[in-house]
Amino acid sequence: MTSDMVASGVVVRAVDVARTFGSGPSAVVAVHGVSGEVRLGDLIALSGPSGSGKTTLLHLLAGLDRPTAGMIEWPSIGGRERLRPGPIAIVFQAPSLLPPLDVIENVALPLLLQGIDRHTARAAADEALSRLDLASLSTKLPEELSGGQAQRVAVARVLAGRPQLILADEPTGQLDHASGGAVIDALIAAATDTGAALIVNTHDDTVAHRLDHHWSMTNGRLTTEVRASC
Amino acid sequence: MLNIHPWRTVRFHSVWMGALVRRRTGRLTATAVGVALAVGLLACLGAFLSASKATMTQRAIDTVAVDWQVEAQAGTDASALASEIAATRRITASETVSFANTTGFESSKAGTTQTTGPGQVLGMTGTYRSTFPAQLRDLIGASDGVLLFQQTAANLAVQPGDTISIGRAGLASVTVTVDGIVDLPQADSLFQTVGAPVGAQAQAPPDNVAIVPSTLWHQLFDPLAATRPDLVHTQFHVRLDHHLPPDPAAAYNDITGRARNLEAHLAGRALVGDNLGATLAGARSDALYSQVLFLFLGVPGAVLAGLLTAAVAASGRDRRRREQALLRARGATTRQLVGLATTETALVAIIGSALGLALAALVGRAVFGTTRFGATTAATLIWSIAAVAAGVAIAVASVAVPARRDARELTVTDARRTLRRLGNPRWMRWGIDLALLLVAALVFWLTSRNGYQLVLAVEGVPSISVSYWAFAGPALLWIGAGLLSYRLTNLAVGRGRSLIARVIQPLSGGLSDTVAASLQRQRRLVARGAALVALTIGFAASTAIFNATYRQQAEVDAILSNGADVTFTTSPGTLVSPTSSQATAIAKTSGVHHVEPIQHRFAYVGADLQDLYGVNPSSILSAGRLQDGYFQGGSARQLIDKLAAQPDALLVSAETVHDFQLVPGDAITLRLQNGDTKQYIDVPFHYVGVAKEFPTAPHDSFLVANATYIAATTGSDAVGAFLVDTGGANISNISRTLRQQLGTTATVTDLDSSRQIIGSSLTAVDLDGLTRVELAFALALAAAATGLTLWLGFTERRRTFAIATALGANQRQLGAFVWAEATMTTGAGLFTGTVTAWALSNMLVTVLHGVFDPAPDSLAVPWNYLTTMLAVALIATATAALVAIRSSRTPHLELLRAL
Repeated sequence: MTSDMVASGVVVRAVDVARTFGSGPSAVVAVHGVSGEVRLGDLIALSGPSGSGKTTLLHLLAGLDRPTAGMIEWPSIGGRERLRPGPIAIVFQAPSLLPPLDVIENVALPLLLQGIDRHTARAAADEALSRLDLASLSTKLPEELSGGQAQRVAVARVLAGRPQLILADEPTGQLDHASGGAVIDALIAAATDTGAALIVNTHDDTVAHRLDHHWSMTNGRLTTEVRASC
Repeated sequence: MLNIHPWRTVRFHSVWMGALVRRRTGRLTATAVGVALAVGLLACLGAFLSASKATMTQRAIDTVAVDWQVEAQAGTDASALASEIAATRRITASETVSFANTTGFESSKAGTTQTTGPGQVLGMTGTYRSTFPAQLRDLIGASDGVLLFQQTAANLAVQPGDTISIGRAGLASVTVTVDGIVDLPQADSLFQTVGAPVGAQAQAPPDNVAIVPSTLWHQLFDPLAATRPDLVHTQFHVRLDHHLPPDPAAAYNDITGRARNLEAHLAGRALVGDNLGATLAGARSDALYSQVLFLFLGVPGAVLAGLLTAAVAASGRDRRRREQALLRARGATTRQLVGLATTETALVAIIGSALGLALAALVGRAVFGTTRFGATTAATLIWSIAAVAAGVAIAVASVAVPARRDARELTVTDARRTLRRLGNPRWMRWGIDLALLLVAALVFWLTSRNGYQLVLAVEGVPSISVSYWAFAGPALLWIGAGLLSYRLTNLAVGRGRSLIARVIQPLSGGLSDTVAASLQRQRRLVARGAALVALTIGFAASTAIFNATYRQQAEVDAILSNGADVTFTTSPGTLVSPTSSQATAIAKTSGVHHVEPIQHRFAYVGADLQDLYGVNPSSILSAGRLQDGYFQGGSARQLIDKLAAQPDALLVSAETVHDFQLVPGDAITLRLQNGDTKQYIDVPFHYVGVAKEFPTAPHDSFLVANATYIAATTGSDAVGAFLVDTGGANISNISRTLRQQLGTTATVTDLDSSRQIIGSSLTAVDLDGLTRVELAFALALAAAATGLTLWLGFTERRRTFAIATALGANQRQLGAFVWAEATMTTGAGLFTGTVTAWALSNMLVTVLHGVFDPAPDSLAVPWNYLTTMLAVALIATATAALVAIRSSRTPHLELLRAL
């Protein structure tokens, strides 16, 4: 890692990264020789067919998984142990709110995990919910929300943490078009507001076209890196 | 759409089951283990119950010296009767015994003459003693010839070789030489009034008895029979074929039926005194008590195993609902979903039952040395089938019923929900827990009143009954306490959020509010876990306390019968001083801690001859291990202090107080034998209190006084017995040493032997095996109620933990959630369980007071076991929490993707 990278706002950089599951004849290569950089403020759509390695790549970039070959570094953040909570935030395809916590507690949780005091965390959570017009849901339990509401709350959770990198794994995969659109709006707003980089794993071309960059995965390879035409 | 044709159903089910076995191994195994625990416990206890009943029957048979005493009626041809009886089916031996009333015995020695009141002279054949060896016990002298009952020998102050004269009504007395002195261990039945109802029997057997050879009896009493036939009679003592049903009640019915059959056959020429039937009548009530014990101690264990199974199955309910939702979304019908649940139930029931039976067999082999627990094959088979049926019922209730309900009632959306804002359960709103506790208290009050009998077995009545109503008290208390535990935990976690947050602050730091909020929303889960722990601890601890109290009282019973670790009883007629060489020799024997001399005399209270014990009040309390339960109207110390405070103080039995209408402070004059003249003299005493039991004393009537006062007033300090305290160690060895040292000059008995021969009372039934089995199961249940259910609960929430880890929660932060839940669940359960166990133990001991003889002064608390149980619960809890935290160290990526 160089000071140039930090200065140029490189959040994450992958160099010839591979991830293989299993070994021997049954080994599955999910990600193969991927290289790329993500800078603060980048809005990236990651697309590709099912099983092409998109989610695995997101997990690698999030530091949730380790590559079996190659290198991943987070120049503007630091070492792997500093990635979470705080600098990197993730929105999952499946419901990811903690069932026993209400909406505001869910949103405040990453801040509390960072050691921020309760009142500050709650205030930040309140603000994030308000910005996404979700303040009225703050005392609801996750099971009382619709799928779209739950995903927007998950985005509010991201927003409250003011991360440098937001990774969203098919966040609209289980939502109807209108709800999905609202979630993407929220994600873009969150990234724009905080200056964070955003990578959205999506099958939806509409979503992909709303983002600046378009990464495509095929058979584990990041085959293209094109500027989106939006 | 899932398109499954009927012919493919089997394949579909097998594929589903295969997937469940591979992917849901933990949940399936835990559910099967719950079923196995219930099946194993029931199979063990059932087989043990059967074996216990058979043991009771055998012990009852062994304690009877003579099975039947068939008494010939006046004018009957005795020899013809003897032939008919001997030829009766299933009678293996019979002996003729002649009885004659004597006006009294008399002896003259050293210029003094001793006389007794009326008595009995028995004529026995030469083979009688080999046919009925338990009827007479040799003390000193020959074992044949003219034998004198020990009390008679003491009254007459004679020894073998001395002569006595026997009075005959209307005829001259005859003189015979005493050959030996014997004890009549079963004098009550030997001298029973055959054919008389229970209440019309003599209160005590005669004190004056001589046994002579049959030929001599005829020489002495044939003349009396000619003149006063009303003073002689003949009995035929019978030994029966002892191939009886193992259950005492069935054996009783068999024996009494045969007795009535013989009486009918003899058509009024003879009446049957059914000693074996009477003993079996007692044993059948003991058997019923053991059945009640099984219900009290065994069934709750099985119920608990069932509840655990249900809890284990319920821990995977959300996942099962989601799986059902997926299947339904892909077109599965309700019928197909129910079918899958049924197949899963069958799998759990089969595996659980097989494991349970194997467990029972292993336990049987380990504890009893046999897989059948000593029960018959048929009984073992029946109990195994019953246990498997219970296991199947538990599997159906735990797996099939909830799955069927969900399949029929829940929508796909409902099924995907894992946590809901729910009101309190209906039973809470209706106050069912409080109502149950109220009814339990009411039933307890009714069943613990004076005069209440749990087991009613009237002598001579074929039917026996158990008041199962009494079972309701502890059962309702247990269930009510479990539900109350739920209510209190629910209330504490629901309302005490801020308090909980403050308490867990050191553990969870800035997350304390969030953790407390999480706990609050999951309060039903926590309350359910706490209730399960409370039920388990309540059951296990109360069972342990009951068993310990039972063992304590069995030991007290043995001590009461024997008097001490080792008891040295002097021979009748011998005078042993407390400072004699024998006393010194006992005290010097290695391993002997203390020797306590006790005087034993016979004293007349009015016309009633009773045992009188002279004790040293300063040492008898500890030396005799006197219990408060031995006395009435005060503690053991208070009553013995009264004895110490007044030289002529006298403790008497409750029966004597009633018979003679005594009030404390009343003067009583006893007639005691003077040590020098052997004449009975009047000795004044004052009644100060009631003794219900006393070491070595008979159960009915006896007296306790100061040894120094008796010695001063009778001129003799002769000791009846020495109570030898060995500190409970090396009892058999010390007993053997004393026997070798002191030869035949006395009888040496010890506690170890006494434990073996205490009649047929239930306390004599060896419950050690049952206790070990049950307490081991209770430990397993405690571990399962705490660790297993928590672990499964955490396992079902792995995805939640994975999300928390992905959000950045470290081990300590995740641990705050896990430890708070584990501590709250187990802590609340242990607290309410302990209170429940205390209440339940007291209730069990009170309701089952008939089991205890004597009644316990206080509960015996098995601290070692309870500490072990606490350790097991805490270790299981900690292990479950640590495993949950450890497995969440790195987020499971596949879980993050999961629905």
